[in-house]
Parts: sequence; structure tokens; C-alpha cells
Amino acid sequence: MNVRLLSRLQQRWSVLRRYATKPSSLSGEEVRIGTGIGNITGRARDDASSLSVNQPSTKIVTNLPPLTDPIPNLPEVEYARPLAESSLTQVTTLPNGLRVASEPRFGQFCTVGLVIDSGPRYEVTYPSGVSHFLEKLAFNSTEKFPNKDAILKELEKNGGICDCQSSRDTLIYAASIDSRAIESVTRLLADVTLRPTLHAAEVSAARKAVQFELETLGMRPEQEPILMDMIHAAAYRDNTLGLPKLCPSENLSLIDRNVLMNYLKYHHTPQRMVIAGVGVNHDELVRNVEKYFVDEKAIWETQVIKGTGATEVDASVAQYTGGLKKEECEIPIYAATGLPELAHVVIGLEGCSHQDPDFVALCVLNIMMGGGGSFSAGGPGKGMYSRLYTNVLNRYHWMYSATAYNHAYADTGLFCIHASAPPSNVRDMVEVITRELVNMASEPGRDELSRSKIQLQSMLLMNLESRPVVFEDVGRQVLATGHRKRPEHFIREIEKISHGDIQRVARRLLATVPSMAARGDIGKLPEMKDVQSALSNGGRLSSRRLSLFK
Amino acid sequence: MALRVLSVSQNLRQLSKGAELLKRYKATASLKKTLVNIPATQVTRLDNGLRVASEDSGAATATVGLWIDAGSRSETEKNNGVAHFLEHMAFKGTAKRSQTDLELEVENLGAHLNAYTSREQTVFYAKCLSKDVPKAVEILADIIQNSKLGEAEIERERSVILREMQEVESNLQEVVFDHLHATAYQGTPLGQTILGPTKNIKCIGKQDLCDYISTHYKASRIVLAGAGGVKHDDLVKLAQENLRGLENTYDGKPPVVTPCRFTGSEVRVRDDSLPLAHVAIAVEGCGWTDQDNIPLMVANTLIGAWDRSQGGGVNNASNLARASAEDNLCHSFQSFNTCYKDTGLWGIYFVCDPLQCEDMLFNVQTEWMRLCTMVTEAEVERAKNLLKTNMLLQLDGTTPICEDIGRQMLCYNRRIPLHELEQRIDAVNVSNVRDVAMKYIYDRCPAVAAVGPVENLPEYNRIRSSMYWLRV
Repeated sequence: MNVRLLSRLQQRWSVLRRYATKPSSLSGEEVRIGTGIGNITGRARDDASSLSVNQPSTKIVTNLPPLTDPIPNLPEVEYARPLAESSLTQVTTLPNGLRVASEPRFGQFCTVGLVIDSGPRYEVTYPSGVSHFLEKLAFNSTEKFPNKDAILKELEKNGGICDCQSSRDTLIYAASIDSRAIESVTRLLADVTLRPTLHAAEVSAARKAVQFELETLGMRPEQEPILMDMIHAAAYRDNTLGLPKLCPSENLSLIDRNVLMNYLKYHHTPQRMVIAGVGVNHDELVRNVEKYFVDEKAIWETQVIKGTGATEVDASVAQYTGGLKKEECEIPIYAATGLPELAHVVIGLEGCSHQDPDFVALCVLNIMMGGGGSFSAGGPGKGMYSRLYTNVLNRYHWMYSATAYNHAYADTGLFCIHASAPPSNVRDMVEVITRELVNMASEPGRDELSRSKIQLQSMLLMNLESRPVVFEDVGRQVLATGHRKRPEHFIREIEKISHGDIQRVARRLLATVPSMAARGDIGKLPEMKDVQSALSNGGRLSSRRLSLFK
Repeated sequence: MALRVLSVSQNLRQLSKGAELLKRYKATASLKKTLVNIPATQVTRLDNGLRVASEDSGAATATVGLWIDAGSRSETEKNNGVAHFLEHMAFKGTAKRSQTDLELEVENLGAHLNAYTSREQTVFYAKCLSKDVPKAVEILADIIQNSKLGEAEIERERSVILREMQEVESNLQEVVFDHLHATAYQGTPLGQTILGPTKNIKCIGKQDLCDYISTHYKASRIVLAGAGGVKHDDLVKLAQENLRGLENTYDGKPPVVTPCRFTGSEVRVRDDSLPLAHVAIAVEGCGWTDQDNIPLMVANTLIGAWDRSQGGGVNNASNLARASAEDNLCHSFQSFNTCYKDTGLWGIYFVCDPLQCEDMLFNVQTEWMRLCTMVTEAEVERAKNLLKTNMLLQLDGTTPICEDIGRQMLCYNRRIPLHELEQRIDAVNVSNVRDVAMKYIYDRCPAVAAVGPVENLPEYNRIRSSMYWLRV
């Protein structure tokens, strides 16, 4: 170290002593509450002029004006004009049964992807959890791309990102990318879905990721994913939609490359797939799909797969059974917010399929029930006047949350209410929810109905602001029916819903056998038969009196 | 089946990070004028100084909002927390409407009303069907001009805010960033928290709220922004009808924004009962408008963000991510570049196991020094691409676009056209990145905030001495 450096060091010390002062006189309490350290005063830099060392540089690094001023000589541009979206969905069915659907759209970015008729509902002859693994294995190595990094780099070149999501009956692979890169992204998607290599190392990494996710779910106070699996298991006992979406931990070691490949071979077939694109040229998309999805063979056609498991797709229709699924366990508490431990209950009834004439009415009913958490943040517009707020959360202060869900599938549906409260209130909670379910059949208020209809309409349109949502909507609709109904169609359908429709679907729901899922400290959970008789008995649980005066 | 979208909307939100409405600037030499497939942002200034800015995409829905150039930075030690308190009072009724009227009116439109406060901005916005834009603007204007600020509501809101404070405190990331500001901007208004100290929340009264409004809610400090199905001329007309009454004069002296001094320093809150250490370290960055901002953003993207769920080796744009995954250095890290009017914080926040603080910090600082001295062209190119992608993908839907317009109007007094922004990013080269890193990072005193089991975090002088390399 030479003398110059040494002298620099000394200068540095003087600077450090001057400025790098640790704030003193912090009382522990002030720190803990994370506020009010405002009374610490840094030493003033009033004598800074006497220091000539280590002043921040004032050199302008970038040879451009500040961001407040435009760059000079910027090429003139012509902006787009707003256009009313009157675009139609084009659908082409290729000879092998693969459907390609697309919609033009404003903007130079596009979202392209696959919607596949695949998911946990088809896993009856496989170890449950195959779809969970596939979701984690998406966008890994393929025949052309040596690893995930190569795939991401290919996307990145054109400003793209990708994602894979599985739901109970569909698996979706999608990418958003510059639409000039349509060929590159189609090739990539084809490789990812038809020619994944599924190396042993990747499968074991996916196993770890699934395990990590299961552990995280077990440690979080949020219970939705687990409860939704449970209520489906109760509603569709041991069949189709009742099969778990989350891989059971005992299956982690059972799922390997052979199982996965065999599943892919029978489920990722052209007839079960739709390739959808939003913001793309239809002919170009079709041309590229023919090239990469049809002309190039899938890996299970070129390699011999050591088959384990079924050799055909489970085509059974969902059987709604109703019933109870419960788990006595400890539920993690929200850290530091002073909330008590909560017990969770979901009560469900058989709803209807998304092709059912009652579907739209049921969606309106869902909005009318609404609900959410009792401490939800944010301003008006979040359904504060829905029934689960006005009749339940605002009235019973021990209720922590109450939310209505409407799950619709190709052949059935599940309408349910999820609620949580401290364990001592479990019985009251079940009664309150049951009463609300029974009340659905009474005539809705006029304001209530029109508010719910408008909220559903605006929610539909607001969701469709986003391109990936449009993509998913196109893909799912074409997969189910072969074409896409425009949002305007649904807006009109919602408009037509009357009081009678709501009461009719409510009665239809109430005529079915209930399903119930419960988790946590649920010693006070009423029996299933009590809930069932309460549903046909004005919502009152009979076996024990709640009121002193009854 | 479009309604299917409704019943599974949680799933969809995750996917929607891939959406974007905008078209990228395309250099087509043969055309005289380049086509950009986005509508232009139009700006009009009213007589009273209020600015109206909008982008009309002709959509069926729209977002409109008021962006106000005032936040917790405009407060003093005495009234710290007022801006946020006001945000809470906004939906509690006005001279024309009671709280219930307001809530029902918004709910019946199928609209959403929301508000937030940051250190330099206060925002009220509404999302609605485009035919309801006039009503939404009228409601927003009513909220900021005629808020009732009833004593009973103020009392009730106090406890709500104290509750919110509890929630903020359970979020350690927020706690660490509050500490970081408190130490980096000690003795200045930027060091204050947005919520304010408990003692202020307990005593803020109607007069404080009214004073704050009359000092800061001035027409020239407010922007009415709109995106989606909003016609600019209509919006200007609506602004004239509803916001003409806003004053733009001061009785006394107008408040001046005092520069906030950055102090290299540290605060540690050691708490061994927490499972993980939460650490933030930052140097002083630049203000919003500084031309160095863009290269700093590229540098920030280059360091990147990572968490354990992403697995190892994935997305290797970031060296630090690779190191973190391979050597189990941390649970997550996130590089940040937070800008204010005249200053900024450029740094990194990480969460790690108690005994990994030192190793993680070593890797962070090594990476920073590498950035200053020998960052490569390939890395910079990749970071530029990622930055552009992130920016474009963020502009998905009317609300993010409106937010972008409002924020940019306050920060830059214009909306930077997308093609200009792209050109500015494209213009960044590897030596720019090294230069800004040298200017802002190399041999500067960082601010450090650490919460949790942080015994393993090196003492400040050692951290400081890793801000330069003794190499010739």
C-alpha cells in the first residue's frame, strides 16, 4: 500500500467519524413500535465547506436532458386512435382436432398460450398430485432447450414472460410477448407442452418445490387452498372434482418421470387442447401452430414410455355426493395483529355447470351474497352492502370472515360459503351461515338485485381490461364450446335476471344435499344431519337451544 | 362462460401480470412518422392551475383520480400523520353526502373508490364503467373539497389507524423501510413515517386536518388523471365544472419544499426472538427528474430480485440470485431505487437466516463494487431488456395506466412518451452504468437498517469499508 492510499484512508476516517454516527438515545420502545425516531438529529453539515474530501460527484453521467424535458430530435410519432373493440374470435380446427383461436387487439404485445382439458379431476387412476407436479415442471428443459434458463432467455430477447397454472379441470401454459415474436413463442410453447424431457433432476426439484409449498401452506394462517380441496372432496367424494389439487405428501415419492409421461401421453392430446392468442394475426398463428404442434411429433410418440397407470382418459361425469370432511388441527395465527386462533368452516351446495341456463343467475346470487373479511381495507366498492356483510359480518362481531364462492365446471358446480371465527363460536357460525343459505330463497330487495347485477357487469368488464384474462376467457370458452361468446352477450344476460330467477336458483341449490368442510379447533361443530335438517327448517339448528327464551 | 372469469378471479390476477395494453415503439425507417400503437396522453391546464391528463383507449371501463403533490414529507414533526389521517377521513362523508350515501352511491355504480398516501403524494381514485366517469369525477371532487371531517368520525378513525399501525408493524419489510428512512433522512421530514407516531394519531384534530387541506390542496399541486374509456375534452369539462373552485393562492407565504439531507448511518433493532434477519442497506440515489435516474434503474434491475420459491439457477440475469440460490445465502432479496423530488434511496433489502447476514452482505457489496468497476456489456443489455419488459408489462389495465399518468405528471410535469422512455433506456451503455455506480455507490456512506437476530451483521465501519476496493 503506498503513501497516497494511506493518506486517502486517513481522510476517510475523518469522514466516517463525522457522518457515520449511529443514532443515539433510542429508547427500545420507540424502536419497537416502528415509528417516532424523528427526534434523532444528524449532525449538521454546516462545516462541510472545510472538508474537501469525498464530496458526492456532481458530474452528469448521462448525456440527455433531465426527465422533465423531452429528448431533442426524437422521431415524430403517430399515436393510435381509440377504437371500439368489435373484434370477433376466429377459430380454426386443424385436421388432428387441435383448435386454434385468436382475437386481434390494440397493442403490439400479445398473449399466446394453451388451455388443456387436463387437471386433478382426471387423476383417478394416477397418484393424486400429477397436475401439481406438472405445474412446477412447466417451462423446464425440452428437446430443443437444454434448461429453463435457455427458455427464459429466449423469451427475454423479445420482452416476454411465461406462466403455468393448473385448476381442477384445466391446465394453462401462457406467455406474453412482443407480437413480432409469434414464431419464437409458438415454437417454445410447443416444445414445452409436447416435448418436455422431464429429467430426473428436474422432477426431484419439482418434488422439493411441491414439498416446500405444502410446508408453507401449513405454516400460513390463510386456509383457502386447503379448504377448497376439502370442500370439493366432501362434495364429490372420491371422484373427479373431489380429487385433491394439492399433492398429498405421501404421494411425493410415488410420482416420477414414468407416471408423468404416461399422464401427458393420454391427456396432452390435440383434441384436448386449444391454442389461444390475443393480439395476434390469426393466419400467422395457425401457420406456426401447424409447423410446431402438428408437423413435429410429441416426445411420447418418438420415445417409448414405460407405461404405468391407465391407458385412457377418465371420462366419468362428476358425481355430487355431499358429505363432511373435517380436520382437527392447529391453525397458525396471524403474527402480531392480536387476532385469536380461528376455526374455518365451508358449507357447500350443488350449483350448476357453466353451460347451464341458470349459470348467470347463480353468478348474480354469488355477488349478492358477496362478503369478505371483517377488517378488509380499501374504500367503497368492495361489496360492503352484500348480504354476508350486512347480515353477518356487521352483525356478529366474532365473525372474522364470510365469503361466498361459486365454482362452475363443465358438468356440475359447487356454490359455497367459507367463514371463520374463534373456536368457541363454531356452532353459532354454522347456524348463521345456514340461515343465510336458507334466506337466499326469499325475495331479494329491488336495490339489492340491481346493485348485484351492475356489480357483476362492471366486474366482468374490469377483469377483461387485462389481456391475459381475455386470453384465458377465449381459451376456456373455445375449449368448452368451440366458440367465444362476447362480453356483450353476458352483459345482456345479466340484465335479464329477475327476482324470480334468483329465487329459482336458490331453491335449486337448497334442494341438494349439503357438503361441509371444517378445519381447526372444531370440537363444537354440529353434526351433518343437524345442518341438513336446519337447511330444510328455516336455518335453525335444532338439537341445542341458542336462545335463552326458546 | 366469460363469467367463469368471475368465479376464479383470484387465479386470474396472478396470470394478469403478463398483460399489457401498450405497443412498443417500432423504428420503421420507411415511414415518415413512426406509428406507436398507443393513444397519446393529452394534457390541459385550467385557469386555476389544475392539470388534466388522460389517455383514451376507448375501453368500456375507466379509472380517474386526483393526484396531489403532498404527503408525509409536507408535514412537520408536530403534525406528522395528518396526510394519512385525511386519506382515512375521505370516505367518511361530505357536506352533500353522508358516509352511507357515498358508499351506496359507489356500490350501486359497480365502481371502486380507493386512496393511498405516500411520502410525497396523496391519491384518490375511482374505477368505474366509462359511462359513469362524470359521476366518479363529481364524487372525487366532493371528497377533496367538502369532506365533513366530523368529530365523531375522527374519533372512530383514530382507532382504525392505530389498528392499521399494528398491521404495518407486523410487516417487517415495512418496519425496516421506515427505519431506513428514519436513519437515512434523520432530522428531515423524509425521515418521518407516513402513519405518524402514536402520540400524533391520538391528538390530531379537525383543525389540523383543515389546516393541512388549506395549505396543500392547491389547484396547481393537483392533477386529474384518467385512463381507459375517457375522452379528454369531456374530462376537461368535468374538471371545470367540479374543480374550478379550488384555490391557488396563499394568504401567507406558500410552503417551500426544503431539501432533505441524507446521512450515512445505521439503526439496528436486535430481536433474537424473530426467526429471520431483515436488513436494508442503501446509498443516496438521485431525484425523480435527474437524468442519472435511468442508468440507476438499469443498475437496480441488474442486481434484481429473488426469493427461494424461484429455485436455483433460474433467471440468471442476476449474479446475486445465482449466488443466493447456490450458497443458501438468503430467503429473498430485492434491489430498490426509491426516488423523491431531490434525493433517493438506491439499495437492497434482504431476509436471511441469522448466521447468514455477514455472508449475504459480503456478496451484496462485492456485487456493488463489481457494478462500479467491471460490469459487463452483456449484463447491462439483459438488464435493459428486463427493465423495458417490466415497465411495459406493468401498464396492464386502466388503473396502472392512470397511476402512471398521475405520478409522472406530478414528478415530471409531463407524461414521458413511451417511445422516449425506450430511447432513454436504449441509450444507456455499460460505461454509463459504471459511471453512475461510481458516482452514487463507490466510497459513499450507506444507510443501514436491520431488524431481527442481526448479531451477525458486521459493524458499521466494516460495512463502510467494503464500499470501496483497495486495488490499484
